[in-house]
Amino acid sequence: MKTLLKSCVLAISLLLGAISAQAQKSGGTLVFLVQPEPPSLAAYVSTSGPIGLVAPKVYEGLFDYDNDGKIVHVLAESHAVSADGKTVTFNLRKGVTWHDGKPFTSADVQFAIMNVLSKVHPRGPNTFSEVESIDTPDAHTAVLNLKKPAPYMLRALSAYESPMVPKHLLEGTDIKSAKLGNKPVGTGPFKFVEWKKGQYIRLDKNENYWRKGLPYLDKIVGRFIPDASTRTAAMENGEVLYGAYGAIPNIDAVRLKKRDDISVTTDGYSMINPMALIEFNTKKGAFVDAAVRKAISLAINREFLIKNIWFGYGKPATSALTSNFSATGLHAAMPNFPAKGDTAAANAVLDAAGFKRNSDGVRMTAVLDLIPYGEDWRRAGEYLKQAMGDIGIKLDLRYEDVPTWLRRIYHKYDFAMNVNYFYQLPDPVLGVHRHYGTNMIRKGTHFVNSSRYSNAALDKLLAAGMIEPDATKRSAIYKDVQKILAEDMPVVNLFELQFLTVYNTKLKGAYGSALGAYGSFAEAWIDD
Amino acid sequence: MSKSGKVFWHILRRLSQGVPIILAIVVLNFFLLNLAEGDAVDVLAGEAGSATPEYMAELRAKFGLDKPLPVQLLVYLKNVASLDLGYSFRHDMAVSELIIDRFWPTLLLMVTTIIIAIGFGIFLGLMAAVGLNTWKDSVISVFALITYATPLFWVGLMMIVVFSIHLGWFPTSGMETVAAFYEGWDRVVDIAHHLVLPTITLSLFYLALYTRMMRASMLEQYGQDYVVTARAKGLTERRITFVHVLRNALLPVVTMAGVQVGAMIGGSVIVESVFAWPGLGMLAFESLFARDLNLLLGIFLLSSVLVVVVNLTVDVIYSFLDPRIEVS
Amino acid sequence: MNEFWSRYARNRSAVMGLGILVLVIFMAAIASLIFPDDPFRLAGIPLSVPGANGFFLGSDTLGRDVASGIAHGAKTSLLIGLVATFAAVFIGIIFGAFSGYYGGLVDDILMRITEIFQTIPSFVFAILLVAIMKPSIESIVIAITVVSWPGVARLVRGEFLSLKNREFVQACHTIGMSDMRIIVREILPNCLSPIIVVGSLMVATAILIESGLAFLGLGDPNIMSWGFQIGAGRTMLRSAWWVCTFPGIAILVTVLAINLVGEGLNDALNPRLREGN
Repeated sequence: MKTLLKSCVLAISLLLGAISAQAQKSGGTLVFLVQPEPPSLAAYVSTSGPIGLVAPKVYEGLFDYDNDGKIVHVLAESHAVSADGKTVTFNLRKGVTWHDGKPFTSADVQFAIMNVLSKVHPRGPNTFSEVESIDTPDAHTAVLNLKKPAPYMLRALSAYESPMVPKHLLEGTDIKSAKLGNKPVGTGPFKFVEWKKGQYIRLDKNENYWRKGLPYLDKIVGRFIPDASTRTAAMENGEVLYGAYGAIPNIDAVRLKKRDDISVTTDGYSMINPMALIEFNTKKGAFVDAAVRKAISLAINREFLIKNIWFGYGKPATSALTSNFSATGLHAAMPNFPAKGDTAAANAVLDAAGFKRNSDGVRMTAVLDLIPYGEDWRRAGEYLKQAMGDIGIKLDLRYEDVPTWLRRIYHKYDFAMNVNYFYQLPDPVLGVHRHYGTNMIRKGTHFVNSSRYSNAALDKLLAAGMIEPDATKRSAIYKDVQKILAEDMPVVNLFELQFLTVYNTKLKGAYGSALGAYGSFAEAWIDD
Repeated sequence: MSKSGKVFWHILRRLSQGVPIILAIVVLNFFLLNLAEGDAVDVLAGEAGSATPEYMAELRAKFGLDKPLPVQLLVYLKNVASLDLGYSFRHDMAVSELIIDRFWPTLLLMVTTIIIAIGFGIFLGLMAAVGLNTWKDSVISVFALITYATPLFWVGLMMIVVFSIHLGWFPTSGMETVAAFYEGWDRVVDIAHHLVLPTITLSLFYLALYTRMMRASMLEQYGQDYVVTARAKGLTERRITFVHVLRNALLPVVTMAGVQVGAMIGGSVIVESVFAWPGLGMLAFESLFARDLNLLLGIFLLSSVLVVVVNLTVDVIYSFLDPRIEVS
Repeated sequence: MNEFWSRYARNRSAVMGLGILVLVIFMAAIASLIFPDDPFRLAGIPLSVPGANGFFLGSDTLGRDVASGIAHGAKTSLLIGLVATFAAVFIGIIFGAFSGYYGGLVDDILMRITEIFQTIPSFVFAILLVAIMKPSIESIVIAITVVSWPGVARLVRGEFLSLKNREFVQACHTIGMSDMRIIVREILPNCLSPIIVVGSLMVATAILIESGLAFLGLGDPNIMSWGFQIGAGRTMLRSAWWVCTFPGIAILVTVLAINLVGEGLNDALNPRLREGN
């Protein structure tokens, strides 16, 4: 009950905030960068980045989260968790309609979670794994019955992560290929109008939006510009007002930041927590021995990478978990993560493990695969090749296209060492467990435990961490997790990526949510 | 047989030769693309974040990617025979719809480019040939070559920096002002405005080709007997150049232009990428990396059909224009 | 030879082109002497402007020496151009010679194959080949070859068609020379000059294609080339212009020089063109 009260207060303060804020202006068109062009707008089937930039303007979640990570009620007016943690009740907002005029009800929530998200969503089956059934006592109440408490679930109910989708348009269709995928119909502040392939997606103001007086903007247009330098030029020219998730390269962001009319922020990414890392094949090849992996972690100058390739945006990793988990007490700094790299220590580890240098000073050779998501990763690979050369590990770089790379790493396990990045998401259960658990060695599934690292002690800890409601106990569990991972290093965590949002200062109110660019833009307005 | 009858048979024969070529292109690319590691489902699943192998198998079955290759090919060819280019795996749309959407921007860019490149190419080539081995000739040759040898993306970006950012004369990229959604005549003007920079960038690249061809063609004509005769008859150099030589020298240049239009239908990946021009080149590029087989094959099919048709058209027009040329 | 040179030398820009080309080749040859280190080595302070911190042409984002990259890259870029051109000319000669010499069914088949490759949009096809074979020096050379040879085949075929009925070829037939011998020893040498001209221009085009592929992220990550430098520096063109401008100039100058040489060769090998003025 206490939770319910708290959330009501929050909801009210949110509404007040909307009313009392300084003179927002209605009208205008926001043109923002969507990069690359999304494959579809089916946010309930794919968590692909560019979908996240567009879909949450159309769909809404039960919750949103503010910049401190606190819950903001959206489609759920309030919620309550039972004392044993196994029943979660959502009181849904009344008078909300889908863009086609049909009312939004608890049946939609039930259908969205049970038939869509926990079936076809990439992370949904994980998020809602404990949900046994959903009761709908009336049109505006949804009760989730859980097998075990799932505290992490309440952190994954945003429009981006768990969008509420219309039952009447999906029921009885093949959900994965429903028409809705290309023509979304949601409850959000903007309605889908048109998608001109290769050019833009246009969304218009939802006149019947349940938050009165919102949205301020008449139209938002997501533009696709393939070349990074041109995106920067369009931003400089004022043709686009907003670009997130690295749409503007860091080096240009640093330059544009100096202008009066353009600002740069790293806010709005606390729900995704991206971590740059190296995955190793722990079953076969040069890096089976944990000592070598540890030596590699020791040899890397993380600050050099951040300073010269990401132009200062990033934080050296200090353990397998992002330091953003400090807020929930889960992060603990570990040894073997020197920020500036320690070549001597790395060499010592390799010498002690018996890896001798040959006459050319080479201890071993291997191929380093690079994530095919842009030039920065190639530069990182080139740096790593040089740094590893210093400790006698001779690397060749391999840069393949996305399908080839995915097959190699996650299907054929035909790699030794792979540069990658993972979203750790708002909780380790959602984003980190998939990388290390034995149950996450799933041949053919992308972005899971490709190292095939398996450790019974660790599995036990992960299982305990998943359901532990007590913060102190949970923090102790994850400290042990990080200890094991810092010693075994199936994955060398490099640094916490800080994505940048670059925006024109005449755009206001677009950055209040923890979801940042994956938020709704309902309160965004243009000050001409 | 009358000339037009001959031309008719010629067209038929050429078309019948064209069909196997187009077929061969489709088959060749079909197998090449299947040699590539990974398929459309891998890409979609990879972008989605994560997907179970069962889900991926389901998608493969839906796209028909679970069938043996020869069967896939036969199904594709059967569809093509009934003028159906199939569905794009990635866009979940008919391939023909996607391609037609991107075809007009490509055509617009290519035709304006060719017109500008030919126009200036002919002019510069003529100037160079008339002033053979003078400073004019050298300056023109070097200028044309510099525009050819400068990497395209560099020219494009510099155009944007100078004319969009510093001077503010043109928009940086795209085909339309998306904030405005103009209609009617305003829209035409708007598109023309967006067309300027990409057209200039691309024509600079082709300019060298036409300049050089025109120069060579002029010089070759100067060496012909009829020029000697004309000189002997006392015609002025001016008259010889502009009335006789120029006309004959234009023919090969125009033919070349025809061939180029065909070849350029594939789009210019680099210019489209730099200027965010929504053409076929970028679509092909993206569909390759998305392993969107039907879409890429559709683009190859369309562009090869166009090359065949354009070449044939040029041939036929040519044979009517120049009575000395017989259709073979 | 002397006569050829004097005709070539009449075109001053061609002489200049040759001079530049010799210089570039010389630079490639002595790259390892002036810059003994690996051009990928992190040699100093990143993004140094030209002239600062001991970097004559500046350094890139990882502190690699741009000048060293250009010198070492010259080797790769020229090599890509030459190997791809030789391969394309070789295939083109085989197709063109047989097609032109034998005519009939052979001609039909070979020319249809040639047309297949001429009809595919060439740059997109090159991208496809490199993507499928994975970006490496070898795959780039193969892709350039595959999209370049049809032009040579057409040219050679044309030459063979016009030469095969000349008296000297007829004479060879009467003395019982084998077809192979006639093709290789008699006709081919007579059509070398246009092949040389076209080939010289192909080297330049190959270098441009390589840089275009690198722009799209399809360069070999392990070998220094001008294309690699451009690919690595293009996003910072506005902030650190030197990183990709100098390799761009290297390409520009080399391609220009090769083209000037090609034009000079054309003029020198086709004396007929000169008679007009």
